[in-house]
Amino acid sequence: MKPIIKKGAILSVVLFLLMQLYQPARNVEYGQVSPMHFTKLYKVPSRVEKILQISCFDCHSNSTNYPWYSYVQPVRLFLDSHINEGKENLNFSEYGTYSKRKQRSKLDRMIKQIQSDEMPLASYTIIHKNARLTKESKAVLLNWIEKKSDSIAANN
Amino acid sequence: MKKIILSTVLMAIVVVGCNQKNKQEESVKPETTQSTSQLYSCPMHPEVTGKQGDTCSKCGMELTEPVVKTEAVSEEVKTEKVAVTPFSVTVDANVNDYLKVKNALVNDDSNGAAAAAKALLATFNAANTTSIDAKLKKEYIEIADEAKEHAEHIADNAGKIEHQREHFAMLSKDMNDMIKTFGTNKKLYQEYCPMYDQGKSGYWISDSKEIKNPYYGAEMLTCGRVEKEL
Repeated sequence: MKPIIKKGAILSVVLFLLMQLYQPARNVEYGQVSPMHFTKLYKVPSRVEKILQISCFDCHSNSTNYPWYSYVQPVRLFLDSHINEGKENLNFSEYGTYSKRKQRSKLDRMIKQIQSDEMPLASYTIIHKNARLTKESKAVLLNWIEKKSDSIAANN
Repeated sequence: MKKIILSTVLMAIVVVGCNQKNKQEESVKPETTQSTSQLYSCPMHPEVTGKQGDTCSKCGMELTEPVVKTEAVSEEVKTEKVAVTPFSVTVDANVNDYLKVKNALVNDDSNGAAAAAKALLATFNAANTTSIDAKLKKEYIEIADEAKEHAEHIADNAGKIEHQREHFAMLSKDMNDMIKTFGTNKKLYQEYCPMYDQGKSGYWISDSKEIKNPYYGAEMLTCGRVEKEL
């Protein structure tokens, strides 16, 4: 019995080490912020921008602030799948490339997702405690997005 | 003293009155300029209309004759219908699937809405866009992209009917714009529930004047009103 356990342990350690070799490209924007970025398109107050930065941009932009454990596989795979899904639904870095129709509907979706506490994801805030929206920051954020959304709606 | 008070009051009334007049004028102005700038007709073929700078489809001359408003409305409807007939069939197919999504939501049937939205997505993907005028194509793609995204969300969220209804509100807007741009052979109505989403987005499209509310279902089945005929 014992040699089998030993073999298995060695095998899993080797597998774990081999896994570490897989380090795909990171979701990081080197250099300048894209001119298509949300914050370039709209005048975002610094308070709101800070909230977005801390609570949203990790998964919804081309610039993730990776934690140390992201270097460890298979954590990285899990994170990347989340980031890809997040970016597919809303990418602040490419917001300017969206059609006007899409921009409006995305603003509306942001409001609904934040209001219903669907976003930021619970699985994210459990680790990133500072990304959790406090009552106050939630109000600040919603207030600004709603105003923006209404002013765009009024212009059309 | 009394005189001073009286005269200031009078002054205030005059000032306020004048301001209101100005505002009225301001609010009227953009409408008139818009309607006149909207349509021009060909000097040779008055039945051909378009925007300023467009050319006549029959003789190639620039459209220079401003169209009188009452005429403009009837002309606009006419030209729209002629221009869109080939694609209206596709719009109708999308609308048919959309109506199934709506009916499922009316019945509080989340799974049914998801299934119907899946069918709508397939219909959208199968749409043949070659018959669309190049100018309108961009608009169609924008509308269709959005509509598809909302259909996808409805399809993926069986069991979360509130979430589905949020996307249905936006899908309804896209469908409405699509019908407005490309026309339909169906008799449709835009209906509205002022209670939903603080009155912001509670529109839907129906083939019946009878109100059956897709945003609240059995909870408030008959809440709402017909906004307009499409």
